Amino acid sequence: MTRIACLVVSGADERTQRLLLEMALAHSPSVEDGGPGVVYLDLRGLEKLFGSEEAIARGFLDAVAARGLVGRIGIAGSRAGSRFAARSGESITIIPPGGDARKLGPAPLALLDLDPHTAARFGRWGIRTLGELADLPSRGLAERLGDEGSRLQRLARGEDATPLRLWTPPPIFEESAECPWGVQTLDPLVDLAASLTEMLCERLSRHGLCADAFEWSCRLADRTAHAGRCAPAAPLSDPAAAAALVRASLAAHPPRAAVEDITLRACPVRVTTVQPRFDEPPRPSPRQLTATLARLSALVDARGVGSPTLLDTHRPDTHHILPFTLSPRGGEGRVRGSEVRGIGFALAMHRMRPPKSIEVALTAGTPAHLRAAGLNGRIVATAGPWRISGDWWTDSAYARDEWDVELADGTLCRLAHDSRGWRLEAIYD
Amino acid sequence: MVASIESSPPPGWDGEGLDGLLAAFLPGRLSEIVGPRSSGGGSLLLALLSRTSARGGLVALVDATDALDPLTAERAGLDLRALLWVRCGGRPGSAWSAVDLLARCPGFEIIALDLGAAAGTAPAAWGTRLQRAAEESGAAVIVRTPRHLLGGAAALVVSVRRVRTSWMGMDAPTRLGGLVSEARVLRSRADPRLATPERAWLLEWRT
Repeated sequence: MTRIACLVVSGADERTQRLLLEMALAHSPSVEDGGPGVVYLDLRGLEKLFGSEEAIARGFLDAVAARGLVGRIGIAGSRAGSRFAARSGESITIIPPGGDARKLGPAPLALLDLDPHTAARFGRWGIRTLGELADLPSRGLAERLGDEGSRLQRLARGEDATPLRLWTPPPIFEESAECPWGVQTLDPLVDLAASLTEMLCERLSRHGLCADAFEWSCRLADRTAHAGRCAPAAPLSDPAAAAALVRASLAAHPPRAAVEDITLRACPVRVTTVQPRFDEPPRPSPRQLTATLARLSALVDARGVGSPTLLDTHRPDTHHILPFTLSPRGGEGRVRGSEVRGIGFALAMHRMRPPKSIEVALTAGTPAHLRAAGLNGRIVATAGPWRISGDWWTDSAYARDEWDVELADGTLCRLAHDSRGWRLEAIYD
Repeated sequence: MVASIESSPPPGWDGEGLDGLLAAFLPGRLSEIVGPRSSGGGSLLLALLSRTSARGGLVALVDATDALDPLTAERAGLDLRALLWVRCGGRPGSAWSAVDLLARCPGFEIIALDLGAAAGTAPAAWGTRLQRAAEESGAAVIVRTPRHLLGGAAALVVSVRRVRTSWMGMDAPTRLGGLVSEARVLRSRADPRLATPERAWLLEWRT
């Protein structure tokens, strides 16, 4: 005979829900996530292990209370019955076996989590409680609502034959190594991290998962901690590529002191493999791309490798660099055939970063001569001033005049002038 | 934004315009765009990257002087999500190494190196090294440089020079309007007919 306990905790967020589910596993091996603040436990066969139903419920409530949470438990022969009992007001409410139908009679229909269409239909029929639904003629209900009608009526009568959808805690992909002697040089540390990465990747592969990020934390000899994170361009579980990534990231951000222990954690994701189409351009393999990006980050700077993205502002030269990722395949953004012919006629601009301070001689208020490091000459043509301003409602307001000028040697420049003087912003190319 | 004066090319100028020129940059080959600053060479490189990304291909730009303007790139039609931008902080040595690394990672359709003002001399034998890497990966490796650097390793050398400049404004000019470039193929191993002296491409770039 099915016996289900339902724990109800009001105001539970995602983290609290996870905590409740983990605590529930200490009291029953079969646990279902019933949504925010609701956890179902299967109590069958637990009497010899944990005692009576009331003793199990009391122990679970005490554990919940120890975490500073207040909950109520209902025990019945069905989910709906136990949930209704848990909401009845007492801390523990037990409906004896076979008593679900009677107890559920006055319960509102909302207990069944009906979809709006079905709820409205029952409303038109004048059905407000589970008892009224249970008393409807079964045949007539099945004729009007089909199997769903029969299922709802069985639930209203306390007959819940559906087994619990078992919740299992997600596996933790974490590996640690202790070095009591203290690793003082980078080489053995990155080797150690690489071996931990390979172990993690093997575990990920066994679960059919990939990692979209690796996080490491080190306890240092000077009682401080050193932590870091690296993300591949695409989720991967390839040991060699992941090890190369972690190796390069650690080498780019070495710890300040000797390392006494290191913990490496993988953030697992499930990746579905998609067969590429014949007409799609080639793409790098995640393994090779990750290794290449790791080497590029070590060669230049991790902040210098990525994809630019524009910000929603008119301020000149404003952008962010995002990590380069292999976006999912899809042809919706692709341009085909003759449409490509209209692309690519913009005049390129080479930005100076940061803009160079320059000396500009004026004639009748117009730039006539320019002098800067590596760029010097008479200005033969000018266009401007083009006045721009913005962000005046913030602390970082900007206002300046922009000039496009052509030097005698043919160089086309964009100059900017404001209260700080003249600057070379860009060279057209 | 879109402008082309392909409709009325002068006698002797190639009527295929930008398409005909871009088709000369073949995958698996090392190419070079040569021309002084403000000649339109950077715009030609941007056009190549834009059209490739518009077709769904991935492109990489190794930027020796951190000079790419993402706003202009997006206006040119470049899908910024398909662009791997490697900024080398004015270190041409790192830029050459970065191109070499990328050329050994198959999957990018174009790997571009914009040397900008950081152009010095190419490391010894680097051209041959890049050419071999390009052949293996199948990527078009393109170097934008003020002067010819790669010697005989470049399978395609395109020279760009500015023909004229246009300005915008009602009474007096207030903005640069664009420029017209003339591109000539100095060398093409795949199609030597492109490199005939009388053949040129007239290209207009707009701000």
